[in-house]
Amino acid sequence: MRDIRKFDARPKLDGSWKFLDDITYEGMIYGQLLYSTCHHGIIKKIQFPKDFELNEFTIVSAKDIVGKNLVPEPEPDQPFMAEDKVSHFGQIILGIAHPSKRTLISFIKQIQIDYQELPAITDIEECLENEDNVFGREIIIDHRREIELESNWIHSHEIYYTPHQEHAYMEPQGIISIWNPADRKMFVKATCQCPYFVKHAVEAIMGKAINEAVIETSEGIGGAFGGKEDFPNVLAGITSLLAYKSGKPVKIMLDRADDFKITTNRHPSRIELHTYTDPATKKIMKLNVDYRLDAGAYQTLSPVVLSRGVLHASGGYNIPDVYIRGRLFRSNTPSNGAFRGFGVPQALAAIEAHADKIASQLNMDPYDFRKTNIFKVGNEFPSTQKITENHLEECLDRVVQKSDYRKKLQEFKEWNVAHKDKKGIGISMGYHGGGYTGNGEKILNSKIKIIIEKDAKVKIFVSSTDMGQGAHTTLAQMFFEAIKHPREKCWVQLPNTSKTPDSGPTVASRTIYIIGTMLQKFALKIKDEMGFTNLEEYVASHQSDFPREFQIKFTPDPTVSFDDNNFRGTAYKDYSWAACVSEIYYHADTYQIELKKIWNVLDIGHPVNLKIAEGQVEGGNIQAMGYALTEFFYKKDFGRMQGFTDYSIPLSLDIPEIDIEFIHTDSDVAKGLGEIPMDYPAPAIRNAFHNAAGIFINEYPLTPERIFKQISSPKNHRI
Amino acid sequence: MKQIKLNLNGEIRSVLVDPTETLLDVLRDKLGIKSPKCGCDRGDCGACNVLLNGRSVRSCLILAIETDGQEVVTVEGISQKGLSRVQETMINKNAFQCGFCAPGIIISATELLNNNPHPTLEEIKEALSGNLCRCTGYLPILEAVRESLEGGKNE
Repeated sequence: MRDIRKFDARPKLDGSWKFLDDITYEGMIYGQLLYSTCHHGIIKKIQFPKDFELNEFTIVSAKDIVGKNLVPEPEPDQPFMAEDKVSHFGQIILGIAHPSKRTLISFIKQIQIDYQELPAITDIEECLENEDNVFGREIIIDHRREIELESNWIHSHEIYYTPHQEHAYMEPQGIISIWNPADRKMFVKATCQCPYFVKHAVEAIMGKAINEAVIETSEGIGGAFGGKEDFPNVLAGITSLLAYKSGKPVKIMLDRADDFKITTNRHPSRIELHTYTDPATKKIMKLNVDYRLDAGAYQTLSPVVLSRGVLHASGGYNIPDVYIRGRLFRSNTPSNGAFRGFGVPQALAAIEAHADKIASQLNMDPYDFRKTNIFKVGNEFPSTQKITENHLEECLDRVVQKSDYRKKLQEFKEWNVAHKDKKGIGISMGYHGGGYTGNGEKILNSKIKIIIEKDAKVKIFVSSTDMGQGAHTTLAQMFFEAIKHPREKCWVQLPNTSKTPDSGPTVASRTIYIIGTMLQKFALKIKDEMGFTNLEEYVASHQSDFPREFQIKFTPDPTVSFDDNNFRGTAYKDYSWAACVSEIYYHADTYQIELKKIWNVLDIGHPVNLKIAEGQVEGGNIQAMGYALTEFFYKKDFGRMQGFTDYSIPLSLDIPEIDIEFIHTDSDVAKGLGEIPMDYPAPAIRNAFHNAAGIFINEYPLTPERIFKQISSPKNHRI
Repeated sequence: MKQIKLNLNGEIRSVLVDPTETLLDVLRDKLGIKSPKCGCDRGDCGACNVLLNGRSVRSCLILAIETDGQEVVTVEGISQKGLSRVQETMINKNAFQCGFCAPGIIISATELLNNNPHPTLEEIKEALSGNLCRCTGYLPILEAVRESLEGGKNE
């Protein structure tokens, strides 16, 4: 657990670090997308403006696709471009390129498309409330036991809603494609999380026209958070088609409004919970979950968001009888996709608010209620996976202790009696399974290549990308710390699919946990096999053996198995655990919630680089704060927000104090970290507001507008 | 098109501009200055901040033609003779994650420290409140600015 300065810290500070839009190629032209402004309809006519030289433009439509008009991953159901029908607002109809950005923009603005409009589902409420909109596979986790409901058990019923959330990475999406007719290769420079997804997409759209697509990431990837997992596939496909047709390098950078309007977002959810609690023991005896996600127009990766969501839907509670039903709902809006948390923030929004609801019905402190119901070693998840450690409870106890929860609760209660403004404190807890769900890692079968040079330099080749989270620093650190190799002799190479093998996508809190662990084990293995104590000395005395290349493959744990059909078994080999307390100040005159402080206690196993790990927690906390308090992405009769003017992410003035503690840091395992700090804070903030004002709100964000409406008409508060 | 002259990072540069071109586009596309980033192109995010006659401005909201004869400093200029103390503390604290917002934040912090060498935490928060960052939650950035105040004047 050492703090190593990030290898890219300096170039990021002197302005020399290159992001995609900082790169130009000789003869490069600019591309833009023309997308549907109709939610559902048939394209009748596309009319180009008259006062432009049409032959100066390169225009591609679905008709120009040489291969298949179907994005191959994750779920192959989304076309790259609309054919004669559009299924959602923002669906791409044409890709257009021109040497001048300005000419291109004014040309695109003047293109007219006539549609024959068809009925469309555009509102989250319409989408999620109507069961006719279900599509894709339904997931059931059936952990029902023969338990007779007692008449005195307390029935708690609530429907919880969560909204869209926009990733708001600071660097918008972009791609550069370069076609080389000599070797028939398409070279793609991408700001993306998953170079191999992009490769498969470009090869699918180009079909026989190319021999191979080679994807290299840009040096800088300006934030991603899941947003650059699947949309780059679509964008790279269309940019490559433009490069192929024009014969020139083509760059498409989305402007911010387009990025907001047409790329993926966090899935809105509607989660209905029924619980039955025994008033004598204060234990939840039965839980029924109806977990619904608005998938958008296509499934893409929604099925895997759904599976993670339902596997986390019962929270950290030991409930004897659980039935969880998960479904995807279709709407005529852009497909929702991956976003840090991946179904878990929605799951916890429901179950963690519900815990407070039951506690207040029992007139019990939310901490005591959680202590009574938290799962323990020997209990099991609804998937029947056994709980093997009590670390979640340790996190909970520790966070309550260090935040002075009990004392503050009492103090605030007294303070609130005498004041119009209110102070509040709230708890939440949660967990996040590391890596792909179920058999996912076995199927991914990640590979790594390592070259040890004659001067003992170690080059690590992985397709895992560094989008700011510090993955390349930490991955290298896991290797060189394992064998005490000098730091400056160990580097992760820029991902390039012609050089780096497929180590899987950079998602699912898996990069350090899966790929880092593979590197660490490999370092120890060669140390053992070659019998060195110092790699530099060994290489110096065995010069003829070097440079030497090694291939490493993921070895699945044979004891881990999961039944994908019935959702039974080991869903995740290792879970990260966390508990949180948040303190708020409620301004009664303005209906504003001011977040004062967040305490985090996490078990992520061994934090490889403490500063980088803390950075993940801080960043995740603040994204969760935006999710809970300010980030309003969609309004009925208005549509999506179009930029930072109307979509408020937290500013430096808004941020609370953040306290972070990791426990069980002496563990051998470096578990998943990227997502969990986004999962649990939002419910703690909501619960703190409930504690402060006594107002129970079942939907984020808790904007002044929503609070005002809730107070003025408690029955009909959805906005 | 009109020829304008700028004092850009201490060097007089002349460039032909269209009256509707923004300073951001001219810096990036015609003058090879890439540190100001285009995060929104409408003045929301602060990634394109530059110092215009010592004041931090959104270069996406300034027309290049307005800057004729004036002084523009970007992070390239600030870094010319080695990094400033606040840049060094930001490096040591791993203050940034993706780094896309970093150039704009360095400009805002530099302006603050030039005018107010000993700002309070509230003043630092205020000075950086026009710069969006989505990765870090701002804390390490604020801490780095504060830490850079220790042991003398920022230069």
